[in-house]
Amino acid sequence: MPIEQFSMEMVNFATLAPMLVLVLGGMFILIIDLFQKLDRGFYVTVTMMTLALALGLLLFYGVQGHGFFDVMLVDGIALASQMIIIGASLLFIPLAMTGVRFMEFKFAEFYALFLFMVAGFAFMVSSDNLIMIFIGLETGSLALYTLIAMHRRDKSLEAAIKYFTMGGAAAALFAFGAMLLYAATGSVEIRTIEEVLVSSGFANLPLVLAGSAFLLAGLGFKLSVVPFHTWTPDVYEGASAPLAGYMSIVPKIAAFVVLLRLFDFLVQSPDGIIYWLLWIAAVATMTIGNILALVQDGVKRMLAYSSVSHAGFVLTAVVMGTTQAHTGIFLYWALFLFTNLGAFAMLWISRHPSKVWDIRYDHPYKKFAGMVHISPVGAVVMAVFMLSLAGIPPFALFWGKLYLISAAVNSGHLVLALIMLANSAIAVYYYLKLIIYMFLHDPEENDNTVYYQNGTVPLKIVLGVAAVAVSLSFLAIDPMLNLFGDLVAASGF
Amino acid sequence: MITLEHYLALSAILFAIGMFGIMRRQNLLMLFFSVEIALNSVNIGFIAAAYYLGDMTGQIFAFFVIAVAASEVAVGLGLLILMYKRKGTLDLNAIKNMHG
Repeated sequence: MPIEQFSMEMVNFATLAPMLVLVLGGMFILIIDLFQKLDRGFYVTVTMMTLALALGLLLFYGVQGHGFFDVMLVDGIALASQMIIIGASLLFIPLAMTGVRFMEFKFAEFYALFLFMVAGFAFMVSSDNLIMIFIGLETGSLALYTLIAMHRRDKSLEAAIKYFTMGGAAAALFAFGAMLLYAATGSVEIRTIEEVLVSSGFANLPLVLAGSAFLLAGLGFKLSVVPFHTWTPDVYEGASAPLAGYMSIVPKIAAFVVLLRLFDFLVQSPDGIIYWLLWIAAVATMTIGNILALVQDGVKRMLAYSSVSHAGFVLTAVVMGTTQAHTGIFLYWALFLFTNLGAFAMLWISRHPSKVWDIRYDHPYKKFAGMVHISPVGAVVMAVFMLSLAGIPPFALFWGKLYLISAAVNSGHLVLALIMLANSAIAVYYYLKLIIYMFLHDPEENDNTVYYQNGTVPLKIVLGVAAVAVSLSFLAIDPMLNLFGDLVAASGF
Repeated sequence: MITLEHYLALSAILFAIGMFGIMRRQNLLMLFFSVEIALNSVNIGFIAAAYYLGDMTGQIFAFFVIAVAASEVAVGLGLLILMYKRKGTLDLNAIKNMHG
């Protein structure tokens, strides 16, 4: 390769702009902290402004193209997933303004690490270079382990250590898979790998298959694909509720985008081995996640298993491989963002370090018994999120499920569509169980303060935004489909 | 004659040792060593592949894997010290509260 003349066009800073803003915001918080210890309100404001600036850059100046010497690739799916990542972060960060003062939100490092994590995941989705994807994945994950451990409880330490060891294994698996693909094709750029494999008719097939399997396993840990889902309920239970909600959205959409880039062409391998591998992984993930969610006693663990199941549901879109299905990934995940973050925020509002209901669980079902008598608004809001997760019209996830199932039918995957329908039906049971507890059972204890111990105005605003978004989502489906459809089609997926 | 396959086999064996350690070790420090073995086995594969393909990218990837492994240890040791301060042991069974 000849040494090219350096030019600023090769850097193409516009593709880097949102991540640069995020990193600079994080560094600004760290520098301010050196000189002056400030209140968490200040840090939350700076973080939100940084995120809003990054989102603005993305929405109004979002350029598509290569940058930073071809390492960055900002295409439609990169923009769409960055919107989801930064949107989820904007909804997450006000949840730090709790009524009860938790230790971790006092530290400036929490906000700096948070911004670095968002930048890491944004880098991960906007590159087709496996080195960059690996670095982005690790930047995001390492910051996330620390954020989990900063919640000062024994359970959080356990969760952080579990997530860390699983993440270490995932990093090793991902790197090993990348190495095998590199040995087979001589490139770490996904588009070059695709060219080499398609033009040579999948030469070195055993190496390619092994590499794909390792990459699927590495990303599967982040996506909580069965059989790599075992950490999910423990980590979600140990982490603070908003962080658990955040974890169920942001690392997963980042991993989905990488999976989409890789497996969009790998599923075409001869004999369909990779196709059936993904098919089985998707079906097992949604079914086993659902069945395990049925038998949980804690609402947080139930939501953890339900998010495993939702990830499996969306994984089917990668199996189908049509543009409609790929658009469905982003539609589903944008709707899932509001629903799941809202549900976890509802748990967060009712959390208190010393007032516990159960030794084992922070949020057992019985805590919510008769909630409609104590706080009708809270019960209705929680019910809206549960109905949306269950896929009952007209709430948000119904449209996502409908769109993905219709994509399955349109692409001729009738068996897959039937399995998806059956799983949606099973899932209704455990979501309605919570609604029955809230509306039809008598309260265990008549104490007005219990459901809003942690509630402050910022938390209620987040909940309100999520509840309104979930209830009125039918107005937004068409514009969202147009936006995501254009972005996905523009990048050729 | 040592070919690329030999190096890939060595890499795979070391990787399997690392993965086995991650699954079986009860001591947190030993578990970190296992993660390191797994990550460094990848480096052997990358550098061998880069050498036989006559391409630099693999070596660059190996450098990045080393950097990631180092930062992973930095975070991991932080967690390890936190655990030792609270529990006085590095045995993973000591922090097993959540199950089911």
